[in-house]
Amino acid sequence: MSELRDIARAILADGRARVVIGWEDARRGARPVFATDPDDADKLIFDARCVHNLVTYLNPRRDNVAELGKIALVVKGCDAKAVAGLLREAQLGRDDVVLIGVRCGGVLEASDLGQPLALTPENVAPRCHECDVREPNLVDYLVGDPQPDPPRPAMTIDERIAALESRPLEERWAFWTEQFSKCVRCYACRQVCPLCICERCVAEKTRPQWIEPSSHARGNMSWNITRALHLAGRCVGCGECERFCPVGIPLSLMNRKLQQIVAERYGYVVSDDPEKPAPIGDYRLDDRQEFIK
Amino acid sequence: MSIPPIFLTESTLRALAADLLGAGTQVIAPVAVEVRTSPSASASAACRHPGAAPVEIEYRVLGDAAGLDLGRRLPVLSLKQFFLPAHEALCRWRQRGTTVQVEAVPTEFAPQVVLAAKPCDSAALAVVDKVMNWDYADELWNGRRAATTIINLACPVIDESCFCTAVGASPDCTKGADALLTPVAGGYLLEATTEKGWAFLAAHAERLKSDAGKGGEEPLGHQAADERAAARARAAANLEIDAASVRAWIDSHFEDPLLAALAVRCNGCGACTSVCPTCHCFDIVDEEEGVGRGTRRRCWDTCQAPTFTLHASGHNPRDDQNSRYRQRINHKFAIYPLKFGEVLCTGCGRCTRVCHAGQDLVEILAAIDVVARRPSTTTPGAPDTEAAS
Amino acid sequence: MSSRRSDTIEQGAAGAPLCAGFEPRLTAFVCNWCTYTGADLAGTSRLHMASNVRIIRLPCTGRIDPLFVIKAFERGADGVIVSGCHPADCHYTSGNYHARRRFAVFHDLMEFVGVDPRRITFSWVSASEGAKWRDVVNEAVANVRALGPFDAYRALAPEDEAPEDGAPEPAGEAVPTGAARSAS
Repeated sequence: MSELRDIARAILADGRARVVIGWEDARRGARPVFATDPDDADKLIFDARCVHNLVTYLNPRRDNVAELGKIALVVKGCDAKAVAGLLREAQLGRDDVVLIGVRCGGVLEASDLGQPLALTPENVAPRCHECDVREPNLVDYLVGDPQPDPPRPAMTIDERIAALESRPLEERWAFWTEQFSKCVRCYACRQVCPLCICERCVAEKTRPQWIEPSSHARGNMSWNITRALHLAGRCVGCGECERFCPVGIPLSLMNRKLQQIVAERYGYVVSDDPEKPAPIGDYRLDDRQEFIK
Repeated sequence: MSIPPIFLTESTLRALAADLLGAGTQVIAPVAVEVRTSPSASASAACRHPGAAPVEIEYRVLGDAAGLDLGRRLPVLSLKQFFLPAHEALCRWRQRGTTVQVEAVPTEFAPQVVLAAKPCDSAALAVVDKVMNWDYADELWNGRRAATTIINLACPVIDESCFCTAVGASPDCTKGADALLTPVAGGYLLEATTEKGWAFLAAHAERLKSDAGKGGEEPLGHQAADERAAARARAAANLEIDAASVRAWIDSHFEDPLLAALAVRCNGCGACTSVCPTCHCFDIVDEEEGVGRGTRRRCWDTCQAPTFTLHASGHNPRDDQNSRYRQRINHKFAIYPLKFGEVLCTGCGRCTRVCHAGQDLVEILAAIDVVARRPSTTTPGAPDTEAAS
Repeated sequence: MSSRRSDTIEQGAAGAPLCAGFEPRLTAFVCNWCTYTGADLAGTSRLHMASNVRIIRLPCTGRIDPLFVIKAFERGADGVIVSGCHPADCHYTSGNYHARRRFAVFHDLMEFVGVDPRRITFSWVSASEGAKWRDVVNEAVANVRALGPFDAYRALAPEDEAPEDGAPEPAGEAVPTGAARSAS
């Protein structure tokens, strides 16, 4: 922690960045903090409650963050993949942001705890188990001690997907329509996603209106499928969409399924190398087309 | 008219619910819902986080009296959805040749009862009644309000994010409701507070006489009063503000850095507005469902969405999150009180609990209260109050 | 308009339910240069094929957004056909390559969500493949007929929706429009 604070303090003091975005401890647990003064660097923490993917604050639509000045962002390895996504899509230049990487041993599912808890199969964020970037790449600084492996969750996301896929079509349909019927179309999933960067979302298009705005089951099906498809090959699996959903829709299942699809068909695994092209928008002459007559 | 409180045991309360259901009356009540249910056990396991709480409390239409949850936990969504549904038809149209037939929707509703409502949720309905009857009487809202009898269940205060007493409500208030249940030893004390409430007691007098005299030795009225006072004290300990000076400060410090920079971590996700019992903004959309036919609906909208104030010209007066979040605070704690005499908030705390970016209304109000009560503005960079006004 | 639904459901030879009298409605999104021309050739060649398909012409499969397919289902299609030029023959060089990846992801996702993949048919049909278009259409229609009406999608409709055509006239004031032309 002191290593992180020292670097942040130095960066702010000599003007390499005007704001350090990291995590702090607050009344209701860990939350994002925007340190603009070198003294604010003492607020920075990193522990298992630091679940938030702070890359969402690099979204070019966030004028109120951009006006603070050049950003230094504290990132876990999974977060850095989202930065790579933004670089890949030319939403950001690498020199526009300073990245402070933290070595991570996994995070909890919830951030709103007074104290960090030891990670257990029941409380660990399911995505941490498969993480391949416990030491983030792409960063300018790397802090923290090497961490032990996170525990395997009681059920991994892939296992949950397999359980769902073992059910017949009608049951899957009943499951998803029930989940989507809870949706109140708050668009928290879209707002918090670091890769949802469209200036005007297709959900807000009214001439013509492709996606019905009302929160009935039919409109919700259209929205949720479209959201997932527009993230195919772009989603980094940070799980923020699911965490922010106020009605608890298991979006990580949809997102992970799409990751499985592009991995299986195109050998694409989410990467923190911005040079690696995303699968959708790219093509090969020999792409599989077994489903096409 | 003064009727002494009626004592009833829990089983009588459930029997009362059963009476209502048996008579065909729709009953809305807190119900324990299994989180992420699925027809299949293994698909359900696909969605359950092992170790996470397997049930949540939600207001639902009651299926049977046994489902009524009296554990006094806070339902995920407020009562708002039963009076201003998340999507609601306003009219339907069908084009035939050169004419259009417009079919209105009914504005009268069958009588229904809300049992064991949270006082903050009922109070919110009374607060929103004002704007719904301001320059236009909203027939759908009013129709549902008129058809509904609400019986509150006094609240023990959920956690440190509750602050009902700071904004004109309390864990035992009956604003917006018609009767109040207070837990006491062996059961509940039920008292009515409106004509509708008294009519309800009269209509169910037989059932409500069942436990007369079974209350026990200690005066139940005192027990109830103590329980409610203790709850009020717990809420007050979470936050105390001088609402009038907060309102005055917000009204005269629009550009103050404290207000202007509140939302730097806010994602504009709108989760707060969807769970809020007093937020009532809606969008109206015409949804074409076939050739020449469709439905005009209203659906929940949020002032935190980037396009909320987008004009047809393309200009957006609130095109960054700071101004949108400032608007939220301004509307709830300055504009609405100035217009209607009450704060557009009942302190339920849902917004704070559901915000995963860490926006904390208790913290924000406490900070504004501190600067509001200072004799002169000492916020760095802000203009002096005397000079500004 | 004849009824699309039947009161009786018979078992087909393979055990798949057959709705007697049910004629499925399919929407086809096809590219202008290959499949549309191929379909036209099927017509001018007087090839016999099922008449359940309404064709929507687009410049290229690369223009096809999965939302088109979803909208078709929302508006009552029981099945959808998506068809375009063979890889390497796209009039715009690479539109169908992009489409191929987009369709693959969409196809797999819809199956995950619980939509029977036989309801959505993808094909490459060139301008000279009138016979292939006939085969694609006949097979798609037969599959969807066997699956029955897509009631599962219709069931997503909100309760407060205006009823479909054929339902009784709604009560309500008839308001003359300024429109000079007829709706149908």
